[in-house]
Order: sequence, then C-alpha cells, then structure tokens
Amino acid sequence: MSDGIQLQDVTKTYQRGGEELRVLDQLDLSMEAGHFYALMGPSGSGKTTLLNLVGGLDLPDSGSVQVAGQDLGGLRGAALSAWRARSVGFVFQGFNLIPVLSALENVALPLALTPLSRKQQRQHALAALELVGLADRAKHRPGQLSGGQEQRVAIARAIVTDPRVLLCDEPTGDLDRDSADQVLGLLQRLNQEMNKTLLMVTHDPSAAARAQRIVHLDKGRLGGVEEVETQDPPGALA
Amino acid sequence: MSLLRLVPRQLLRHPLRTLLTIGSLAVAIFLLCILRSLVTTLEATATTARNDRLWVQSAVSLFVGMPAWYPDRIAQVDGVQNVARWQWFGGYYQDPSNFFAQFAVDPQEVVEMYPELVVVEGSAEAFLAGRNCCMVGRGIADDFGWKVGDVAPITGALFPHPDGADKAWEFEVAAIYEPGARNFDDRTLFFHWKLFEETLTKPDESPGVGAIVVRVKDDADPSTVMGAVDELFMDGPQRVQTTTESEFQAQFVSMFGNIPFFVSAIGGGVLAAVLLACINTMLMAAREQRREAGVLKALGFSDTRVGSVLLFQSLFLTLVGGGLGMFLAKGIEPGVLGAMSAIMPGFMIETETLGLGLLITVLAGLVAGILPALATRNLTVIAALGARD
Repeated sequence: MSDGIQLQDVTKTYQRGGEELRVLDQLDLSMEAGHFYALMGPSGSGKTTLLNLVGGLDLPDSGSVQVAGQDLGGLRGAALSAWRARSVGFVFQGFNLIPVLSALENVALPLALTPLSRKQQRQHALAALELVGLADRAKHRPGQLSGGQEQRVAIARAIVTDPRVLLCDEPTGDLDRDSADQVLGLLQRLNQEMNKTLLMVTHDPSAAARAQRIVHLDKGRLGGVEEVETQDPPGALA
Repeated sequence: MSLLRLVPRQLLRHPLRTLLTIGSLAVAIFLLCILRSLVTTLEATATTARNDRLWVQSAVSLFVGMPAWYPDRIAQVDGVQNVARWQWFGGYYQDPSNFFAQFAVDPQEVVEMYPELVVVEGSAEAFLAGRNCCMVGRGIADDFGWKVGDVAPITGALFPHPDGADKAWEFEVAAIYEPGARNFDDRTLFFHWKLFEETLTKPDESPGVGAIVVRVKDDADPSTVMGAVDELFMDGPQRVQTTTESEFQAQFVSMFGNIPFFVSAIGGGVLAAVLLACINTMLMAAREQRREAGVLKALGFSDTRVGSVLLFQSLFLTLVGGGLGMFLAKGIEPGVLGAMSAIMPGFMIETETLGLGLLITVLAGLVAGILPALATRNLTVIAALGARD
C-alpha cells in the first residue's frame, strides 16, 4: 500500500433540485507521496469534491480512496475524524479561522485532540507560528490580521500536528498577488523541506505553476496530469 | 486548548444579546423564587400552626364580635385547659402609615399558650405584672426605636381613647419577643385585655370579643372539643365557628384566593416566554457558528464534541442568568420579610425553592441548547462549509 494518494474507480453523485448530478465519474488517479499537486479544472469539474474525498470529509458512492496508506472506505464517524486529525491538514479559501480565538489559540486547536500537555500544546503552536513567520502576531485575533497573515495562520494550524498530507482549497483565492506569493512560497517550502504531500485546488495558472504536477479534471473525469517544468525556488523555512 | 474555552468566548461575541438573555432569565428565576416563596410561606404558616389550639369566632364573620361572657362558658367545656380573648385593636403609631397589628389579649393565658413567643428583652413576668404593659415584636421595636421601659403611644382607629380621638393609648414596653416558629411574625403588639375593657366600657358593659383561643388539654381530642364548643351556642345568642389553629390559618390564607394556581400561572408564563427567548438566542448562535462547527469537524473533532459546545453555551447562559436571579432573590429576602411580615410572617426563600430554581435553570439550558446542539452535531462538514464543486 502506497503512502501517496490513490483513487480507484471513484464515483460521486449529488442530488440537486431533484436531479442527480454526477460530480466524479469512475475516476482513477494516483499521486505520489511528498509531491506538490495542483488540481485544476472548470467550475463543476469535481475539484473540491475530490479534495473532500481525499480529506475524509465525504465518502464516494463507489470506488476506493486511499490516503497515506489508509483505505478511507473502512472508516466512519469518530474513527474517520480521528484519522483526519492525525493525517491531514486543511487550508481553506476563506481561511476559516475561529474569530473569537487568538492566532495562537487557533493554531493550538487541533492539538486538543492529542495527548500533549497544555504547555506542550502552546510550545508546538508557537513553533508552527514561527514557521510561518507570525510568532509576533500570536495574541492577535483574526480580525486584527491581514488576509495573507490569516492564511498563514491557517497553514500553521494545518501543519501543527505534523500531518503527512496538506489539502488546500483555493488558498490564494482571496489574497492579493503579494500575499498569494508568500502563501504559495510557504506551501512550496513545506513540500520541499518537510516532505509534505500537497494537493491544492486552484483556478489560477500562476499558482498551479508553483506545484510539481498539475492534475486536470473535466466533468468528473481525469483530463491529464501535467509535469511542471520549472518552479520558482522557495526561500528556506525559518 | 480545550473546546470549552470557546463557550464563554462565543457568548461574548454578542455581549448585548448575551446580556439581555441573561437578564431576562435572571428576572424570570428571580420572580419564580419570590412567587414560589410566597406560596411556601403561606403554606408553612398553616402547617406550623398547632392543632391543640382552637380558634373560636362568630359563625357570621371574623369581623363580628361575640358576647363577652362566651369565654367563661367555653372554659367549662370538657377538655379545655384554658381560654384567651383576642381583640383586633387596629391602631397606629403617630401616623396612619405606621400600621401594624395590635391585640388586646388575656396576657397570662397567651404567654402560657404560645411558647413560640420567645422573650429576648425584658421579661414575660414584667409584661404580666403591669396592667398598662405590652409585649412587642422585635421588628416593630427596631423600626420605631422602642426599648424596654419606653412608652409606646398607639392611636386607636377602631377604638379611640375615651378622653378624645387624638389621645393615644399608652403602653409601657415590658418585653420584646422574637418568633420561635414561622406561624408568628415579629411585628405585633400585645397588651392587657383588662386595660382595654376598663378603658372603653362603663360598669356592666363590655366591648365583646373578636376571637377566643382555646388550649385543649393534652389528653383531650381537639375535634370533640370543637364540636362541643359549637354545640354550646347552637341556639344563640350567636353561633360560633370553631377550628383548629392550622385550619384557621388555612382559611386566612384562602382569603387571598387560589394563590398557588395564580403564582404558578404567572411563573410558568414568564418562564415559557424566557425559554423561547433562550431557544431563539441559541438557534441564532448555532446559525452564526455553523461554518466554525464545520472547521472543527474538518480538524478532527467528533460530531458530539462539536455539538456539545453549543449545549454548554446554552447551559452557561442559563446558569449565569438563573444564578443571578437566585442570588438577587436571596439578597432581597430580608427586605421582603420586613415589608410583608404583617400579612405574611416568616417569609423566606427555602433551600427547596432555590433547588427548584436551579433545576429549572438547568432544564432551560438543556431545552434551549439541545436542538441547536443536535443540529450542529448532525451537520456535515460539506454542508457547514458549503464546499461542493
């Protein structure tokens, strides 16, 4: 069983307005561990659905999904939640930080599911914030941060439990160009220096160009996998 | 970082809304405690009254006097230990607004019959010794600054002094009592029947008797004595109605109407309205926190744990509000006791009432929180985040 991401014959349908909508259609896809994948395609092509299936947020109607050596078909409820807490980190387009918690508390949230002491949780969260260059904003609430800073806090939250897979849904969609560059550089470094497997949904070709491979989806089927030839070199992690 | 830390933080997200909800619950629980305590106090007045003391009154009404010779006849009935005359005096101290209860009584008999009148200053002997002496409750002694040896001037509204309506009756304070049971207040003045009778009447006349208290012998059956007393005056000149003291108190309570029902209806109505407000608050909170619930689930928190955050918010809200209401009710207890002691002696908020308040507070929290908590628990991450493509 591979440490990467494998989808075999995956089909997913939704009911919308009484009509059955086939979002993924017998999809076969294999992604290697430790690589940075961009997922592109037109709206409705199934990008986010694929991301949800890989993250264990949803289950396929048929087919199998294996992530980091785990067949998700055998997991339900609390077991699936526990697997998510251990194995994947999420970065959302809208940042999705908890507005009533400070940056440090947001980052420390996933650690509540670990046996770490409160002091250790704080240390880990601070280390993650340092990694994204925001240790000096630890006590700030999301409303006191810029969009780029919020997304970096969200990335720190995603990596604080040291998951093997990072799933990013349009992480730069709400950011200006400079902030987007910073976030993409950070994701690249996490992939290259910490060997995280990254899967990033994006509409932006320049963002996709920061990945190692681009997966194209079209109408729920695989449109092809493109190797990115040249990448901007990321700076070293702090 | 425990999820419980989210509970107060989420509530403080809308401080005004939280404050108003807490305030409405505090008022509701405060009212419940006060209203419930009125009922328990009235009930306690009746239940702590004794069955070996009988009250004889005119069968027409409590406010119609009986012939002056009735007590002597009643004292001859088998099973009667002794008899005391009671007459409502209806006076006031200095100003009609200083209204409190005064009774002309047979002092020796009253002291013997009522061990719950605990003399704390002066002495019962001093009260008995002087014809113009009186015994007053601690409450009015404190209110009017009376001490043992002082003269208490009381203007008779129902029974003006024969020397002129403006002239006050003067009683020397010989004893100050505190009630030893909840059926007695501390705002009554007792003075000698003889003074009352001799001041008001010419020789061979009598003012009549408002009520007669009968102490039944320990080995006698109160119901037999009651029947015998009623039988005694069956043919007039005026029929009487004899009841045990507890029944007498219960009748007095019934003069207020069906208070328990009234109080329950008001309390229940207020609580129901506040409960709806709490449910509304929590439903709004659940809607606002929907996306955050999805994020928590995506991070790996279980459905139950995420749902329980809302349930704990609801419980926190109601416990703070309810606790505040109970605290306020307990805080004003002495004030209510003082203000209402004349008509409702022994007012107190019992532990059982506070327990009921706490129970209702917890139930309100559970009821208000359970629907939003279940809805959040059953929410899928996809639905919460609106993430579908």
